[in-house]
Amino acid sequence: MSKGRTNNPVTTVKSTGHAPWVKDPKHFEIFRDYWQGINEHHLIAAAVVAVPLMFGITGLAIRYAAVASMSVEPGFESYARALCRWDCHWYVDISERGYERFPIPNQSNVGRWGFFPFYPMLVAVIRGAFPFPTILVATITSIACSYAACLVAWPLLEKNMRAYVLYCAFLLSGPFSFHFTTFLSEPLFVLLTSCVFLALKRSSYLVAGVSSALLSATRLVGVLVVFATVIQMFQQHRERGGSTLSFPRWVLGRPDLLVAVLISPAGLFAYILFLYVTVGDGFAFLHVQRAFGRVAGNPLLFLWDGLSAVPTTGWLPTAPQWSALAAITGLALSVVLVARKQYGAGVFCAICIVLPLITNLASMVRYVIGLAPLIMLMAVLLSASKLTWLAALVLFLGACYFMTLAWIGGYLALV
Amino acid sequence: MPWSDTLDPYGRTISLGGYSLAAVLAVSEIVILALALHPNVNADYRAYYIDRTTTCLNRDAIGSYSLGQTVSFRSDGAKLAAGMIVCGWSGPVADGTHSLGETSRLRLQIPPLRNGLKATLQMAAVIRPPQITQRVMISVHGVSVHKVTLSGKEPTTVSFVIPHAAFSNARTFEMAFDYLDGIPPSQAASNIYKRSIKLVSFRLDAV
Repeated sequence: MSKGRTNNPVTTVKSTGHAPWVKDPKHFEIFRDYWQGINEHHLIAAAVVAVPLMFGITGLAIRYAAVASMSVEPGFESYARALCRWDCHWYVDISERGYERFPIPNQSNVGRWGFFPFYPMLVAVIRGAFPFPTILVATITSIACSYAACLVAWPLLEKNMRAYVLYCAFLLSGPFSFHFTTFLSEPLFVLLTSCVFLALKRSSYLVAGVSSALLSATRLVGVLVVFATVIQMFQQHRERGGSTLSFPRWVLGRPDLLVAVLISPAGLFAYILFLYVTVGDGFAFLHVQRAFGRVAGNPLLFLWDGLSAVPTTGWLPTAPQWSALAAITGLALSVVLVARKQYGAGVFCAICIVLPLITNLASMVRYVIGLAPLIMLMAVLLSASKLTWLAALVLFLGACYFMTLAWIGGYLALV
Repeated sequence: MPWSDTLDPYGRTISLGGYSLAAVLAVSEIVILALALHPNVNADYRAYYIDRTTTCLNRDAIGSYSLGQTVSFRSDGAKLAAGMIVCGWSGPVADGTHSLGETSRLRLQIPPLRNGLKATLQMAAVIRPPQITQRVMISVHGVSVHKVTLSGKEPTTVSFVIPHAAFSNARTFEMAFDYLDGIPPSQAASNIYKRSIKLVSFRLDAV
C-alpha cells in the first residue's frame, strides 16, 4: 500500500475533524483499535505466507550447498537428481511408465505395485502441462505441497506463531527436509493429512472424507485416517449429549456422515480395482512386499533388535538404533496427543507407526517424521519456551546441511 | 444442518441422494474386496507372492546349451549362464553364482536324446559356523536325481546320472536345487535371502 494515499480511515478521520463521532474520544479509540486490529491481522496473514516461503528458500539454499559440496555438476536439475534416492526412483518410474503387468519385465520379482499411485499420477499430470524432466517437476511439486502443508497447519497450530515457525522450518529447512522436497510420497501425505485434520477440526466431514480418499491413494496407511474421522464424529456426538449406544444410530441417520466414512477408503479401493484388472491381484501392493523381503514379526522384537544393534566403533547410534528410537518417540508423541484429547490424531499416528513396524524397522524414521500431527505436536512442545524454540530452530537449520549429506551418502536410517 | 433433519422436499431429495451415494460406495467397496479376495493369477504368481510356498519365482528363461560344453557360472561365463538362470540365483560374480532363497532353478534347451545324461557340477558351500555343511537336493523336472552334502569353502565337483525318464516328456531341460540348510542374513530376515551354495560350473554329457 502506498504511503501517500489516504485510504487509511485513521488518517481520514484526523484530517476531517467534522464527523460527529470524532468528538467522542471513546468512539475514536474503538475505531482506531478496529483498524489496528485489521492491520495486525494483515501483518499476521503476511507472516503466515512469508514464513514458509522464507524457509523454503533457505532450505533450498542449504540443501543445494550440501549437494554442491559433493557434486561438480551445477544447476537445479542435477540438484534434484542428486536428492532423488531410494523410493524416489520408483516414483519417477511410475510417473513415466505406470505400473507393469505380470510377469514383470527384465525378469524382476519386484513390481512397482507397492508404491501408491496418487502422487506419481499428479506429477505426470503436471508434467503434461510443463514439459520438463519428471524429477524437476516432482521436486517443485513437492516443495509446493510442503509449502501448502505449512499454510494448512496454521489453524491446526491454533495460530501459535512460534510453533508455526518451527513447523515450517522443520518441513522446509529441517534435518529431514529432503524427504519433503524430493519425489517421495511424504510431501503430499503431510499436506493431505493436514487437510483431513483441519476439516475434522471444522466438522466438515465431507471435505475430510474426500481428503482421506486422496490420502488412501497416496500411501496405504492413509486409509487409517478414517479412524480419526469416526473418533471425531463420536466426540461431537458425545459433546451434544448423545450416548455411546446411540452413536451408530446417529451416524446412520446422517447420510453426510455415512458418505464421509465410506468415501474415505475410495482411493485405496480404486487402486485395488486397478491392480485386479492389470495384474489379476487386487492385493498386489501387499503381496509384492515378499519380493522386498518384508516378513511379519513381533514389533517389540524388532524394536529390541534395533536398540541392541550397538555401534562397534564410536558413540553415534547405528541406523537400526535410530529407527527404533524414531518409532519409540513417535509412539510416545502419539500418547501425548491422546493425553491432550486429540484422540483421533493420536490413534491415527500410533497405528501408522505400529503397522509398518510389524514387518521391520525399515524406513521408520521417514514414516514417523511424515506424520503431520506428531510434528505439529513437537513444534508446539518445543516452542513452549523461547530458549528451546530458538535452540530447536538453530538445530533444524544446522542439521539440514549434514543430514542432506547423509541422505545423499545413502545413510540407511534415512531410507 | 444434517441432511436428514431437513423436512422440505429439497432436503429430502438431498438426503435420499446422500443415502444412495453411501449405498453405491458401500456396494462398490464390497464388490472390489470380493474381487481382491479371489485373485485371478497363474500358479507361479500364487506360489511366490500369495501362498509363499516357494522363494523361486518361475520365469520363462531358457538358455541355449550344447551337450559336452562346460558353462562357467563365474563372471567370465556370465553371458551363457545368465540365459540358463530361471530364479533363485544372484550373480554371476568372481567366485560363482550364489544361490538365493530355498530353491534355485536352471532351464536350458537340449537336443532330443534317447538315453540319460551325466551332470557334472562344481559347487561350494556357503558356511557360517555353526552351519558348516549344506545339504542340496537336485531334481530334474520334479524327479529327485541326486542328494549331496557340501562342506568346506573350496568348490566340490559333483557328478551324477540323470535317467532319461526324468526329462523324456519335456521340451526343455529343467534342474532344481533345493537347500535344506540355507543361512539367513539375520534371524528376522525373509527366507528369500537365504544363502546356501555357489555354483561354479555346469556340464551335461550324453550317456
